[in-house]
Formats: sequence, C-alpha cells, structure tokens
Amino acid sequence: MAEPPILGLLGEFGTADALLGAVKRAREAGYQHIDAFSPYPVEGMAEALSIRDHRIGWLSVIGGAVGIAATLAVQVFVNFDYPIEVGGRPLIALPAFFVVDFELMILCAVLFPIIGMLWMNRLPRLHHPLFGTPRFSLASDDRFFLYIEADDPKFDRDGTRGFLGSLGAWSIEAVRP
Amino acid sequence: MASTSRPILPLDQSLHDVSVEIGRVPLRFPARVPWLIALIFSLALLLLFFVSVTWLMTWGVGVWGLNIPVNWAFAIHLYVWWLGLGHAGTLISAMLLLMGQDWRNSLNRFAEAMTLCAVVCAGIYPIIHLGRPWFFYWMFPYPATMGVWPQFRSPLEWDIWAVLTYLTVSLLFWYIGLIPDLATVRDRAKKRGWQVFFGIFALGWRGSARHWARWQKAYRTTAAIAVPLVVSVHSEVSLLFASGQVPGWHSTIFPPYFVLGAAFSGFAMVAMIALVVRHFFGLKEIVTDQHMDVLAKVLLASGLMTAYGYVFEVFDAFYSGDAREIATTYDRFFGMYAWSFWGAVLFNFVPLQGLWFKRVRRSPVLLFLIGTSVVIGMWLERYMILVTSLYKDFLVSSFGEYHTTFWDWGTYLGTIGLFFTPFLLFIRYIPSISIFEDKEVLAREKKEARHG
Repeated sequence: MAEPPILGLLGEFGTADALLGAVKRAREAGYQHIDAFSPYPVEGMAEALSIRDHRIGWLSVIGGAVGIAATLAVQVFVNFDYPIEVGGRPLIALPAFFVVDFELMILCAVLFPIIGMLWMNRLPRLHHPLFGTPRFSLASDDRFFLYIEADDPKFDRDGTRGFLGSLGAWSIEAVRP
Repeated sequence: MASTSRPILPLDQSLHDVSVEIGRVPLRFPARVPWLIALIFSLALLLLFFVSVTWLMTWGVGVWGLNIPVNWAFAIHLYVWWLGLGHAGTLISAMLLLMGQDWRNSLNRFAEAMTLCAVVCAGIYPIIHLGRPWFFYWMFPYPATMGVWPQFRSPLEWDIWAVLTYLTVSLLFWYIGLIPDLATVRDRAKKRGWQVFFGIFALGWRGSARHWARWQKAYRTTAAIAVPLVVSVHSEVSLLFASGQVPGWHSTIFPPYFVLGAAFSGFAMVAMIALVVRHFFGLKEIVTDQHMDVLAKVLLASGLMTAYGYVFEVFDAFYSGDAREIATTYDRFFGMYAWSFWGAVLFNFVPLQGLWFKRVRRSPVLLFLIGTSVVIGMWLERYMILVTSLYKDFLVSSFGEYHTTFWDWGTYLGTIGLFFTPFLLFIRYIPSISIFEDKEVLAREKKEARHG
C-alpha cells in the first residue's frame, strides 16, 4: 500500500533560539521551501529565511502621495465647480486645505500598507492544511515550528524526517492536504 | 531596544502561563458580577444618551444651554475632552512601541480600545451639534443632485476628516495588533461557538515567519504614522479655536498645549482603567506595580508640561499687550467662571504632586484618585477655555452668560454610557492585554536573566 501524499513535515521546537538555529541549519543543508511558525515575531528570523521585502514601506509612501494628491485635487475641483465667495478670500486657500490634505495623506499611508500586508500574506484564509496537524495549535501558544515543504527539491520523506530529528525537534508531524 | 535593568514581568511564569492568564479572560470570564453591574449601569447611561439625542433631534439645539455669545458650549467642550482622553491610547501604543518600551505591552491593547470608544464619543458631538444632524453626510464630497459641494475652507470639514481618519487608523492599528492574539484564543477555545467567532476574526493567522515579517513592517509603519496623527488631530482641534476671532484662543502655544493636555488626561484614564481591569481580572502578574509606577511617572511628566502651557498662556496674554486678551485672562482669574479656572488648576496639578513619591505611585487607591482628579481637572480646563473666552469678548453688547441645561448633562452623561458599553464588551469578549507581545518581552527578559 502506497503512503498517502503529504504536503510537508513539521518539526516542533521548544524555544525561539532552537527554531532560529534549526532554520539556519536547514538553509545550510540546502532546503529552500521552508517556513517557520512562532507565537511572536522572532528577532533575526527574517534574515535567517532571507526575507527581503520592502514593499510594505513603499506602499505607505505611495499611499501618502496618492492621498494628499487626490485630496488636494478634490478640494481644488469643488472650489471651482461650486465657488463660494467669502469676502474676497481666495478660492484655492492652501492653508485652509492643509488639515484635510494631511489627514487623508495619513489615512492612505496607513490603509495601503495594511491592505497590502493582508493581500501579500493571502489573508484572510480561514483554513489551511497546517491547521489539520494536531500539534500546530501550539504555534500560537509556546511552541515553535519549522515546516519543510514536500515540493522542496531536497525533500525526501524519510531523509527530511531524520534531518528534523537531528535538529532536535521534539515532535515531527506530516502535514496532509 | 531599550531594556530595563529590572525585568518588568515576573520571570517565574512561562510563555504558556501568559496565554492561559490572558486568554482565560474571554473564554472563562472571571469577574461576572462586577462586570454585569457595570454593564447595566452603562446601558442605563446609554439609554439616557438615546433619550437625550432623540429630544435634541425633536426640538433642536435650543434644548441645550448654548446661546449667543456662548454658542460653542458643551458640544465642543466634550468633543475636545473625549478626543483628548483617546489620545493617550495611541501614544502608549504607537510611540512607546517605536521607542522599544517593553512596559507598554501590558497596557497597549485596552488603551487602544479606550481610544476607539473615546473617539466614537468625541465624533458624535460635531454631528449632533449640527442644526440638522441628519444631513451630516453633506460634509462628504459626493456628486449631489443639488449641484453643491462641501466648503473645504471651513473648520467643520477639518473636524470630520480628522475624526474619521483618527477613528479608522485607531481601529486598524488596534485590529492588526489583535489578529495574532485572536489566533491564540481561537486555538485555546474549547467551545465551537468561540472557535468560530475567534476563527473568523483571526483571519486564519498562522504565525508564519513571512507573515510576521510583513505584519511587523505594517504594524510599525502604522505606529510611526499614528504618532504625528495624534499630534495633528489635537492641533487641528486647537486650530478650530484659533480660527475664531475671540480673545484667549490665539496663544501660539495652543497646539502643543492641547496635545499635551490631551495626553495628560488620557494617561490618567489609562491608569484608572488599568487598575480596575487588573484588580477584577486578577492580572497582577501581567500589569505589575512597576507598570503602574512607570505610567504614573509619565502622568506626572505630561502634567507638568501641561502646567507649563497654563503658565505660558497667561504670559502670552500679558506679553501681547492686547487689552482684550488681558481682560480675558482677568476674567479667567476672577470672573464669573473663575471656578472653572481655579478648579482646573486645583484638580490637575495639586494632587498630581503626590506622584513624586514612590509610595503614592505604587498605591492603587491613591493613583486611581489622582487619575480621577486629573480627568475632572481637564474637563474643567476645556470648559474654561471655551466659556471664559466666549462670554465676554470685544463688545459689551455681546457679553452674556452660559448656563447648562438638563439636556446638556443628559447628553454628556449619556456619552459616558456610549463609552463604557463597547469598552465593557471588549474586555469581556476579546483578549484585553496583548498576549504575544507580553510573550516576546518575557522571552527576552528570561534570556537576559540567563545570560546575566
């Protein structure tokens, strides 16, 4: 009987340092498709997994620019389209516009990165195969998991299981679709 | 990262203890009876709010005590006061996050919730003080069949956009900070209903390192933007005053003075709420005496800065040499509403001096009383700034008096219900202290303790 297909192997670790060490050794061993799960962001993990993603920051900059430009455009437009003359005061009154400009610049500079973050993380996604793994619920409590995907070129069911064991994983579970 | 020499959280607890201790609050609520009493009380106030607003909508703003010349009365006074209370939540959360102050992690979550509830109360005032509140949507630039557009040179537009932005940003900041904790509670929940409830709102958070990396960038970016936002929102409020002609509203210190006063009252409110929450939920291991000590020091510092604003405002009036400015200052000292000025000075700054002493800072009862005094003091200050300037300005013909009515108070006390009802629901159903951030601090502190 052939074994049912699996998506990957999940190794459990007790501390953030153990996980960080395991990730580094997995990278050294040549694994590419790996991910780490932790109850809180672990310092140095992004570097260990060589995650270099600056898009969030740029989204904020773009959002701010779009926000202020669009608000200014709307304000100028409505003052031309429906001019309200008040004692000869200028219609395009930049100082009076500035508060709203600034607020909407801020609003867009926050909305863009947050929406971008959710979109890039592919959230909301209420179900994921990892949730089917019994011990994975501890990833939000006090355990740290290293996940090696089955589509990794170096993945080999028994070899990878042995490798995770050699890293000192407390438990090793197969993730099924 | 600034690490304190002494750990802020007791080191004899494990990461799992933190999940259990905070996560149990929504799942197996500890303080049912006090919570229920508080909820009934605040629902009664909320009812009063609805009655008052219905009365207002039926008869118009004439049911309030405002008049000419005092046409900015309770509505603007309480708008400023509520908004100010809210600001401390953002400052604790955002500014202290960026400064790497670990002690913030036990306080930020409910401080942010407090911000949200306070901003709702504040935001309701500019709407209901419109003559015809049901047309509030005219403030949005939409292509109306009437062919008119809103007047963007008007401070009313500043208000709506400032409050709307502040509300949205506070909500998003609070929510994305909450997602990982919702996931924690989702995974701890035993009952199906809770699993579904937290499951949906946790958006399927898994704690992946890639997600964390992006999340952290987005969270910190929002925090970095939220700090100037707070400053801009309350500066905007002070500019509302400056765009009026009335004496007493033109001191150049107004924007920082307003922002600091707001932070001052808000820190007092956070301290009070923190004391009550930790007392009833038994969270002394998470919100420790040391947290309260640091918070009390911040309260003292922001209070002294606000006091500087008082001094400078008076100085500014005399330095200007403007007769009417000086007369308004005398009216504040000795006039009909002098009680509001001296009351503000008394309540804001006299009990505050107790916070120089460590024993007072670490005494829950005294700190709570000082917090109450500050909240009352800032209430009086906002009243003083409004009424003492308006009731006597340039011409004798526009001198007048202001007296509050029952409906002024009804609406105000009602907003207290509007504040506490959602807040009580929040501390009941949602982890009111940040679980993952406290774990992060605890893990770091343990590591430091191990390595000396």
